[in-house]
Amino acid sequence: MFAVSLQNLSKTYPGGKQAVRRVTLSLEQGEVFGFLGPNGAGKTTTVKLLNGMLVPSEGNCRVLGADPAKDPEKAHALSGVVTEHAQMYDHLTGLQNLAFYAAVFGIPAGEARQRAASLLKQLGLEEAGGRKLSAYSTGMRQRLSLARALIHRPKVLFLDEPTSGLDPESAQNVNRLIRSLARDEGITVFLCTHQLRYAQEICTRYGLMEEGRLLAAGTLEELRSEVFSGAALRLRCANMPEKSPFRKTGEREYETAIQSEEEIPAIVRRIVEAGGEIYAVAVKKPSLEDIYFALTAGGKEGQP
Amino acid sequence: MKSAMLAIVKKDLRSVTANKRLLSTLLIVPLVLTVILPSAFVLAIHFAPDDPDIQKLFELLPRSAKAESLEQTVAGLVLNYILPAFFLMIPIMTASVMAASSFVGEKEKHTLETLLYCPLSVKQIFRSKVLAAFLLSMLVSLASFGAMLLVLEAEIFFLMGTLLLPGINWLIVLLLVSPAISLIAVTLIVRGSAKARSMEESQQGAVFLILPVILLVAGQFTGILLLNAWILLGLGAVCALLAWLLLKKSMGRFTYEMLLKQ
Repeated sequence: MFAVSLQNLSKTYPGGKQAVRRVTLSLEQGEVFGFLGPNGAGKTTTVKLLNGMLVPSEGNCRVLGADPAKDPEKAHALSGVVTEHAQMYDHLTGLQNLAFYAAVFGIPAGEARQRAASLLKQLGLEEAGGRKLSAYSTGMRQRLSLARALIHRPKVLFLDEPTSGLDPESAQNVNRLIRSLARDEGITVFLCTHQLRYAQEICTRYGLMEEGRLLAAGTLEELRSEVFSGAALRLRCANMPEKSPFRKTGEREYETAIQSEEEIPAIVRRIVEAGGEIYAVAVKKPSLEDIYFALTAGGKEGQP
Repeated sequence: MKSAMLAIVKKDLRSVTANKRLLSTLLIVPLVLTVILPSAFVLAIHFAPDDPDIQKLFELLPRSAKAESLEQTVAGLVLNYILPAFFLMIPIMTASVMAASSFVGEKEKHTLETLLYCPLSVKQIFRSKVLAAFLLSMLVSLASFGAMLLVLEAEIFFLMGTLLLPGINWLIVLLLVSPAISLIAVTLIVRGSAKARSMEESQQGAVFLILPVILLVAGQFTGILLLNAWILLGLGAVCALLAWLLLKKSMGRFTYEMLLKQ
């Protein structure tokens, strides 16, 4: 059984806006799936469909076999959700908030206290647990939301821009936690973000969205091979022989396209034998950003 | 009932007690209606019994309604006929303060979406919200009744040297009419509050519920409709039926999409 699956999922709002168009996608358990695209690409709508907050206009989706449109309670018991609009109570402290949501999810009070304490520790909020939420900064709220979403040990975690508003250190904390959740506890993470570089750091597979359509999905390697062939080889080199396929990109810097890394030793040997002096060799594979822009430009042919 | 629903009820009650402004609004109106207003009546009766209008009223009353003295008769009338009508404003007022904030308040603070992600159906969340507002409104009503009885009896005892027992009317009001009216108000307001876009809009709607009670009070004062036990019982039964129907009907109406619409 897939952790999350979408079949021809579409959502058209009453005003006529087609937010999601025939998206088909499935996630294995334990994956960290990056659902990527600019604002307005349909990411948040998709998450709302997966949580039963919206009913699909066409198609269907499942969270561990539960249909959120028909059995929202079942889907909710399995999922944890962090979105910008899911806030907590300002007049309660961090711990009281967590205790409330634990109770709502049917967790006994004693167990809830332990779970809350350990989550606060992992997210660097130990000291803030006793403070009211009204005194929290945006970043602290964000981290507490993550603790709230994890309080009932969900099997699937939906995160909508989880690190927006976080300073680099807390962002790193959050990333570490997300990674270990997927690796050690087998939690499936469905992560929406428009920050492609951030996604590349943490996700194992990606789906690229534009205007409600899924442009492509797969691991970074799969996406690369779909969009680009090969990579770019960069050299820092003096006395570059004149007859070489390299293009000069800067003072002593050269670049050329290769199909695979197997070609590198031969290329380097040729240059050295012709009297070239090599200081550095690097292979630059297209990044997620390169892939996304190539896809949205509709161009599948060009090198980065 | 699920423990999860109980958690929502507790949280809702706590959000009222933690908010000083809300709590003072909740306590001041019942205080005026059940302690200050009745005291004013009793003092007026005691210090101005010679008023010709009151004399005339006394003469018009059937023999069975008369007590030993004019003072006690009028005090009895106020206690058993006028005050129960005033008393019915309390559950409506309490319900309007709390229930109006229940869905819209959470919507405004962006906490509703979080609540909807819990493993309860919309129906169960709705039921928890209604229960919380209903409990609070009953609690405030009973506390007000206790305070009123204490103050009023003390005043009557010191001024007139006797005690006045509350009549059967009060029993019916406390056990049937007031809970039923409270439930109607709560259901209507929670329902309205789920659709309203702001808390103000929701509370304004709630004000209209007080109108029938004001008519009842006016009726009692002018003597058009002297509530007797049977009329009250009938009224209570009708209200209870209405409350049950409303609750049943409004349960199935909500969807997540509708609740979250901005």
